[in-house]
Amino acid sequence: MLSSPERNAQAATIADTDTPPVVTTSAADPSFAALAARWYRLNRGRLRALAIGIVSLLAFLMVWHLLTTYRVVLFVRFVNVPSPLAVYASLDKAIHDPKFLLHILLSCRRILIGFSFAAIVAVPLGLIMGRFKLAHEVIFPVAEVLRPIPAIAWVPMAIMLWPTNEQSIVFITFLGSFFPILVNTLHGMSLVDPVLVRAAQCLGARERSIFREVYFPASLPHIFTGLTVGMGVAWVSLIAAEMISGQYGIGYFTWEAYSLVQYPDIALGMIAIGVLGLGSSLIIRGVGQLVMPWRST
Amino acid sequence: MVCHLSRLPLAASIASLAVFLAHPAFAETVTLGIGTQDTTTNTVTAGVVIRQLHLLEKYLPKDGKYANIKFELDWQNFTSGPPVTNAMMANKLQIGMMGDYPLIVNGFTFESNPESKSRLIGIAAYSLSGSGNGIVVHKDSPYYDLADLEGKLVSVPFGSAAHGMVLKAMQDHGYPADFFQLVSQTPEVGSTNLQEKKIDAHADFVPFGELLPFRGFARKIFDGVETNLPTFHGIVVRTDFAEKYPEVVVAYLKAVIAANKWLRDDPKLAAEKIQEWTGISKEVVYIFMGPSGNMTTDPTIKSALIDAAGADVKVLQSLGRMKEFDPNKWVDDSYIRKAFAEMKLDYGAQLGSTKNYEISGEDAFCKKPITDPRRAGEVWVDDVGILAFASAACTLGAYADYKAKGKKINVTYVFDTTRGIKLFADQAFFAVGNGDVAPFLLKKDAEAFAAKTGGKVLSFDEAVKAAVNGGKT
Repeated sequence: MLSSPERNAQAATIADTDTPPVVTTSAADPSFAALAARWYRLNRGRLRALAIGIVSLLAFLMVWHLLTTYRVVLFVRFVNVPSPLAVYASLDKAIHDPKFLLHILLSCRRILIGFSFAAIVAVPLGLIMGRFKLAHEVIFPVAEVLRPIPAIAWVPMAIMLWPTNEQSIVFITFLGSFFPILVNTLHGMSLVDPVLVRAAQCLGARERSIFREVYFPASLPHIFTGLTVGMGVAWVSLIAAEMISGQYGIGYFTWEAYSLVQYPDIALGMIAIGVLGLGSSLIIRGVGQLVMPWRST
Repeated sequence: MVCHLSRLPLAASIASLAVFLAHPAFAETVTLGIGTQDTTTNTVTAGVVIRQLHLLEKYLPKDGKYANIKFELDWQNFTSGPPVTNAMMANKLQIGMMGDYPLIVNGFTFESNPESKSRLIGIAAYSLSGSGNGIVVHKDSPYYDLADLEGKLVSVPFGSAAHGMVLKAMQDHGYPADFFQLVSQTPEVGSTNLQEKKIDAHADFVPFGELLPFRGFARKIFDGVETNLPTFHGIVVRTDFAEKYPEVVVAYLKAVIAANKWLRDDPKLAAEKIQEWTGISKEVVYIFMGPSGNMTTDPTIKSALIDAAGADVKVLQSLGRMKEFDPNKWVDDSYIRKAFAEMKLDYGAQLGSTKNYEISGEDAFCKKPITDPRRAGEVWVDDVGILAFASAACTLGAYADYKAKGKKINVTYVFDTTRGIKLFADQAFFAVGNGDVAPFLLKKDAEAFAAKTGGKVLSFDEAVKAAVNGGKT
C-alpha cells in the first residue's frame, strides 16, 4: 500500500500532465469572470442537481396545493388533507412560539445522543463480529430477533428499563439506529477481500494493524451507509419515543396534534421531522466524504 | 347476484347505487363502520355489548327501501377518541363513540369537512357529578390531596375528558397554570410511568381511575365529583350517512337501549361478560355500571350535558385549541326520540329523569331492608354472588363473617359518605366512632368527619375489626 505522501505526489503528477492548459490560463488571467467560470465548470453537476431538486420540491408543493384546494378524490382522497397554506399558517404560528424551537432542539439532542451511542457500540461490535466467528455466532441470533421489533412496541419496556424518561427516549432512538449500523458494518466486513488480508499477514502485520489498515478502511463505505440509514431510522422512531416524553420534542408535538385532531399541526410535525432527518443525513454524508476522500463523487 | 364487498364505503355505495338503480332486484351491500372504545368501560353498552350480542342485526330495517340492502358491520376498536374522529373524517367509520372533550373536537373538526358534518345522536353513559375521571398517585407516595401535588409531575392524556377535569379542578382551586408540571401521556404510557414512579400522579378517564387502584399499585386522591362538572360519553354519526339511512341510525340507538336493559337486568353477568370481551376486570366494570354505580347508562341527551359541553368548549378555546363552536347546533335528538317512540318508551320522562338504578332489597346480615342505597354496601363473594347490605357497618360485618367462613371475596364496595360515589372498600378511609362507620375516598374528609363526631380514622382492616366489635375502636 502507498503511504499518503506518495499518493499525493502521484496525484499531483497526474494532475500536472492532465490539465496544463487550465492551470496556465487561470494563472495568467485570474479575473473574477474566469474564476466564476471555472467554479461553474467544476460544480456544474451539483448546481444542476440543486436546481432540479428545488424545481421538484416546488412541483411537489404545487401538486399538494392543487390536490387539497380542489379536494381531489382519485381513489386516494384529499378531501380533508390540510393544504400547504394551512400548514404554512401553522408554521408561522409555531416559529413565533419559543416552545416550538425547544421541541426541535430537544429532539435533535435526543437523536444525537441516541445515534452517537449506537454508532459507538454498533461499529466496533460489527467489526468484532465480522472478524471473530464465535462472536458472530453468539450475538447474531439475538440481534436478529431484536431487530424487527418496532419502536412503538418498545415503549412500555423502555419506561420500565431506565430510571428517567429522557433515558427511555434516547434508548428508543438508540435502538432505531443500532441495527442498521450493525448490519451494514457486518456486511462491509464480509466483503473485505481476503487477498488483502493475506497480503497484510505475509507482510508481517499483526491483528491490530490488519484491523486498522485493512478491515476498517475496507468496510468504511458500508459503515457510512449504515450510519446514514441508522440516522434515518432514529428519526422514524422519534414519535414512538417521544410518546413517553409528554411535554417536549417534535415527535411529541406531532403526537399531541393527533390527540387534538389538528391536521395542519400534524403535517407540520411530519415535515419538520422530514427536514431534520434530511439535514442530519447530509451531515453524515459530508463527514463520510471527509473521512473517505478517495470515494468523493 | 351482484355483491360489492368493498372496504371503501363511498366507492362501494356509489358503485352499488349504480347497480341498484339499473337492476333494482339485485342486493346491495353497504358497509357500516362503527368505532368503539372497548376498554373505556362507560361506552360498552353502545359498542362491545351490541357487537357481542348481535343486537344491531336484530333491529336493522329489512323492508321497504332496505329490502335489497345488506348491511355489513365493520366494528373497529380504539383506546381513545381522536383515532375514532380521524377514521370518521376519512369515512371509514360512520358511527363513533367517545368522551365529552373528544366529542367536541369531533364536532368541531367536522365543521371544515365539505362532505359531511357530525352530530351527537345519543349518550352512552354519564355522571352528572363528574365521576369517572380521577387522579391517581402511586400507593406508596405521600400525596393525599390535590394540594400535595404542587410543583409535581402530573400526566394526563391531553384533549381527553380527564384533561378537562384537571383544568376545571385547577380553576376551582384558583391554582395558576404552572401549579402542576402537567404533561400529556396516553393511559398506557401514564399507567406504566406511575407504576415505575416516574411521575407523581396520573389523571385519566374511565376506567383507569378505578382500574389502577384495583391493580394494586395506585391510590385515587381526586375524583371528578369534586369538580361537579358533568362528564359523559356520547355517540356521533356522520350526517351524510344518517341522512341517507336514518332508519339504520334509529336501529342502532334501539340496540343501545336494548344493551342498557341487558346490563341492568343482570349486572353481575354483564360485568363478567364485559370482562371476557374487553379484558377490564369485572370488579372495575361493576363499580361503574352496576347498581348505584358511578355511571348512569341513559341514551337521552340531557340539557345539563349540553351545558357541560358548552363549558368544555370554553376551556378548549382558552387553550387556543378551538374557535367558535355551538354544541346546541351539533346535537340531533330526532333519531333517539324516534327510537324511543318505536320501542313504545317515553322519551320525555326519561329525559327528565337523572335516576340511576340503585341497590335495593333485604340485608341478610343486619336483617333489615336497604333504604338508602348510597349509604349501603356490597360484597362480591366468589361462587355466591354480589350481596347487598344496608350500611357500611353491616357491609364490613358481613365481609368479616364470610371471611371467617373461609369464603373467597372478590371485592367489597362502600359509598363515600358525603359524595355518594361507590368506592373499593379496601382503598377507603373509615371514620369510626359512636357505633357508626363512615367511609370516605379522601383521608382529609375522613379526618374532618372523625373530628366532628369524636371518632377515629381507620384503614379497611382496622375498620373491619371495629365493625365486628360493634363500632368500637
